[in-house]
Amino acid sequence: MLLSTVIFLPLLGVIAIALLRGLGASAIKGIALVIGILTFVISLGLYTGFNADTATFQYITQESWISDLGISYHIGIDGISLWLVLLTTFLTPICILAAWNSVEKGLSGFMMSLLALETGMLGVFCSLDLFLFFVFWESMLIPMYFLIGIWGGERRIYATVKFVLYTMAGSALMLVGILALYFQNDNSFDLTTLSGTFDHSELLFLAFFIAFAIKVPLFPFHTWLPDAHVEAPTVGSVILAGVLLKMGTYGIIRFCLPLFPDAAEKFTPLIVPLAVIGIIYGALVAMVQPDLKKLVAYSSVSHLGFVVLGLFSKNPAGLQGSVLQMINHGLSTGALFLLVGMIYERRHSRMIVDFGGLSKRMPIFATIFAIATFSSIGLPGLNGFVGEFMILFGSFKEGAFSKVYVVFATAGVILAAVYMLWMFQRVMFGTLDKTNEGLPDLNAREIVVMLPILLFIVWIGVYPKPFLNKMEKSVGLVVTKVQATPAMGQLEKGVPAGTKLALREIQHEKSEKEAEQ
Amino acid sequence: MPIEINWQLLMPELVIALTLLIVLVFDLFDSISKTVLGWMTIVGAAIALWVSIQMHQAGFDDTQFYGMFKVDNFSLFFNIIFLVSTILVTLISMSYLDRGDRKQGPYYLLILLATLGMMLMAAGNELIIVFLGLELMSLSLYVLAGYFRENPASSEAGMKYLLLGAFASAFFLYGIALIYGATGTTSVPEIAQAIIAEDKSPLLLAGMFLLVVGFGFKVAIVPFHQWAPDVYEGAPTTIAAFISAGPKAAGFAAFLRIFMEALPNLQGEWSGVLILLAMLTMTVGNVIAIAQTNIKRMLAYSSIAHAGYVLIGLAAAGAAAGNEAARDEGISSAILYLLIYCVMNIGAFGAVILARTEDGESLMISDYAGLGTRKPLLAMFMSVMLLSLAGFPPTAGFVGKFYIFKSAIGSELYLLVIVGAINTAISAFYYLRVVVTMYMREPEEELEFSPYASTLVVGLIIAAVGVLLIGILPSLILTPAQNSVF
Repeated sequence: MLLSTVIFLPLLGVIAIALLRGLGASAIKGIALVIGILTFVISLGLYTGFNADTATFQYITQESWISDLGISYHIGIDGISLWLVLLTTFLTPICILAAWNSVEKGLSGFMMSLLALETGMLGVFCSLDLFLFFVFWESMLIPMYFLIGIWGGERRIYATVKFVLYTMAGSALMLVGILALYFQNDNSFDLTTLSGTFDHSELLFLAFFIAFAIKVPLFPFHTWLPDAHVEAPTVGSVILAGVLLKMGTYGIIRFCLPLFPDAAEKFTPLIVPLAVIGIIYGALVAMVQPDLKKLVAYSSVSHLGFVVLGLFSKNPAGLQGSVLQMINHGLSTGALFLLVGMIYERRHSRMIVDFGGLSKRMPIFATIFAIATFSSIGLPGLNGFVGEFMILFGSFKEGAFSKVYVVFATAGVILAAVYMLWMFQRVMFGTLDKTNEGLPDLNAREIVVMLPILLFIVWIGVYPKPFLNKMEKSVGLVVTKVQATPAMGQLEKGVPAGTKLALREIQHEKSEKEAEQ
Repeated sequence: MPIEINWQLLMPELVIALTLLIVLVFDLFDSISKTVLGWMTIVGAAIALWVSIQMHQAGFDDTQFYGMFKVDNFSLFFNIIFLVSTILVTLISMSYLDRGDRKQGPYYLLILLATLGMMLMAAGNELIIVFLGLELMSLSLYVLAGYFRENPASSEAGMKYLLLGAFASAFFLYGIALIYGATGTTSVPEIAQAIIAEDKSPLLLAGMFLLVVGFGFKVAIVPFHQWAPDVYEGAPTTIAAFISAGPKAAGFAAFLRIFMEALPNLQGEWSGVLILLAMLTMTVGNVIAIAQTNIKRMLAYSSIAHAGYVLIGLAAAGAAAGNEAARDEGISSAILYLLIYCVMNIGAFGAVILARTEDGESLMISDYAGLGTRKPLLAMFMSVMLLSLAGFPPTAGFVGKFYIFKSAIGSELYLLVIVGAINTAISAFYYLRVVVTMYMREPEEELEFSPYASTLVVGLIIAAVGVLLIGILPSLILTPAQNSVF
C-alpha cells in the first residue's frame, strides 16, 4: 500500500492540477510542490522500514489485473530499486522548485507533465510484472515528449521526436522479448517466477539489452542524448540525466544480468569495449564543447559508460559501485544542469566564451558549482569517488575482463578532470566581462534547491555505508545469479562476505587517503 | 416444406431492418426534422446493440435457413463492432450533414443498409450469403462515398470506389465459383468436409487465392490498397470514418470465417501468404503515411497499416498448426483489435470533423498548428486517438497491439512480430507529428474554427472514454473477445 501510494500520489497531483488550474499560477505551483514533497516524505518511510538483511522484494502488492493473460499489478522493491525510487522522489520536488519562475507558458501543463513523469519513472522501478513494467516504460515517454517539445529550446521538436523514436525502436524489440519470455514462464508475466534457463536466451538478452543500451545511452546509441539534453528545459535535463538514463542501467541489472547469465557472459567482450569507448569518447567530445549544457550532456555519456563497465564486471564491488554511481550521477549531473540553468536564466547564454571571472561576482554560485564539479570528477571525499573507485576496483578483479579496458577507463577519470576543471576555470576565473558585471548571485530559493543535493554529495562521499548496506543483499543476489552459470566456472563462495570485503577494502583505502591529507 | 424460423436468433438483424423501414417512411414527411432520422438510426442501432450484447452474454451457437445463417458468439461480437461503429458514425454525422440543403434521409438509410450487409457477412455460413452481404454493404458505400454530389472530389471517390469495388466483387465471385467447382458446395462446413476427402486440386487453390484477392481489396491490404487513400480523401469525412471501420471489420469477419472454418486444411498454403501480406501491408502503409500532408490521406494509410496488424492475428491463427490455444488466441486477438481499431479510428476522423472552419474542413496537418492552446478540447481528443492508434499505454490501442503480438509469438511467428513492433515505432513518427503540430508549433495564419456541435462532442467523448477505459481495464472486452471464437 505504501509503495502504491508513493507511485500514484504524483498522478493524484496531476488530476488535482487539472481540476484546480483555474486558481492561478501560485496555486498550481503550490499543489505541485506539496505533492512532490509529500511523495518524498512518504517514500522515506520505504527507507526506514526497509529490511536490509534480505535480498527478496519488499513492500509487495499483488492484485489481479488482466487475469486472462496472466497479468497482475505486482509491485515491490529491493535494495537496488529502493535507491532509484528515493532518487526520483528526491529530485522531483527539487525540479518543481527549480522551475518556479522559469516557465512562461502553460504552467499547469508543465507541472502535470512533471508529476506524470514521476509516476511513470517510479512505476518502472517498482514493477515486478513485465507487462506492467512495459506499460510504465512506454507511458513515461509521453510526458517527457511534451516537456522537451513544448518547453524546450530552439530545436526542441527535432530533439523530442528523436528521443521518442530512439526509445520506441528499442522498446519494440523489448516487447518481443517480453512476449517470448511469457510463454517460457508458464504463461505469466510475473518477474519473480522467472528462473532457470530460457530458449534463445542470447536473442532475448539482446532484445532487452538494446532497449536498455539506447536508454543508458551506451555508445553508439547515444546520439539522441546531446540533442535531448541541450533542447530540454533545465528541469527536463535534470530528470533526464538524473533518473531516465538510470532506467537503462536499472534494466540491465534487473533483467539482462540475472535472467540471462550465459548470454551476458557471452556478450561481455562486446559490451565492455563499447562502455570503454563511451567513457573515452564522451570525455573527449565533452572537452571541446563550447556550450556548457552540451558539455555536461557528453559527460553523462562518459559517466554512464562507467556504470555499464561496473555492471559487467559481475562481482559485488563492481555492481555496488554501479548502483551507487547511478545515484551519484543523478545528484552531481542533476546539480550541474540546475546550475547551468540558473546561469542561463540570468545571462541567456550557455556559451563558455561568454563567461569568465564569475567567481568574483557570484561567490555562492561559484562555490556550489565547484562542489558539483568536484563531485562529477570524483574527488575523494565526495560521492563520485566512492562509486568510480568501486567500479574500477570491481573491474580489476580476477575474472571480470581484460585489464586493458580498465586502464583505458581509468584514463577516462583523468580526462573528466581535464574537461571539467578547464570548463570551471574558463567560467569562474579570469577577467570578468562587462556584460556579466550585473549578474546577481543565487537567491534564497535557488540555494534551497541546491542545498539538499550538496548534502547528499558530501554524505555519500564521507559515509557511504548506509547506502551500500541497504543494497548489499540485493546486489549479492544478482551476483549469485549471474555467476551461477556453468560457463563461468568460477563461482565465488560466500558472496555477501565478498561484498563486505569489498566495502572494507574501500574504506581502508579511504582512511589511508584521509591520513595522507 | 415451410421454413422453421427462430425469430429470436435474428433479433439484431430484424431490429436494424425495422429501423431502416421506419427511417424510410419518416423521410417522406417534409415536416419532420431530418435530425430526428439521425436519432432514430442511433436508437435503432442502440437497441440492436443491446440485444446483441445480451445474446452474446447468453452465448449462442445455432444456424438458421438450412445452415446458411449462423448465429454464434463470433457473429454476435462482430454485430457489436458494427453497431458501435454505426452509432459513433451517426453521432459524428449529424452536425456534419446539417449544412446547406443536403438531403439527409437517404444518408441514414444507406448507413443502416450497409450495417445490415455487414451483419449478414459476419453471420454468413455460406459463400453466397457472404457475397450477398458484401454487395449490400458495398453498394450502399459506393453511394455514400459520392454523397456530396456538388463536390467533384466526392463524386470521383464514389466512382473510383465503385469501379475498384466491382473488380473486387468479381474476383470474390470467381473465387466462389472455382471453390464450388472443386468441392461441389458453397456451404462453409461442407467445403471443409469436402477438402478432407479430396486432394488439394489446383482449382481449389486458385479459388482460394481469388478469395484472398477479393478480401484484400475490401479490407485494403497491400498490394490491393490503391483505392483507399483516394476514396478516403474525397468521400465525406464521416463516410471515410465509416468505410475505415465497420466494412473493414466485416471483411475480416468473413475472411476469418471462410478461411478458418471452410479452408482449415489449406492452412499450410494460405498462412504463409498472410504472413507476407501482413508484413507488406504494415510497412507500406506506415512508410507512405509518413509522407502525407493531408490528414485524411494520412489516416487512410494508417488504416491500411492497421489492416496489417489485424492480419498478424489471422496469420497467427493460421500458423497455429494444431495448437488449439494459439489458434483461438489468434482469432480473438484479431476481433479484439478490430473493435478497438473501429472506436479509435472513428474517433480520429471525428476529431478531424471537429476542426472545421467556415470554408470547410481543415485537412492540412499544418492547419492544426497552435490548436493545443486555442482549442484544447479538440487537441486533447485528437491526441488521445492518435496516441491510441500509435499504441501508447494506457490506451486501448496498446492493449490491442499487445494482444495481437502475443498471439503471434504464441504461434512462433517471431519475425512477423519484430516487423510489427518496428512498424509501431515507425507509425509513432507520423502520429506524433500531428501532436507536435498541435502543441508545439505556432499557427501561421489564424483560422476561424466553427463552434463545436454537441452531438459530435458526445460521440468523441464516448470514443475517448472507451479508448482509455479499455486501456486501463482491458478485461472488460478481452474476456468477451476470448469467448467469441468459433
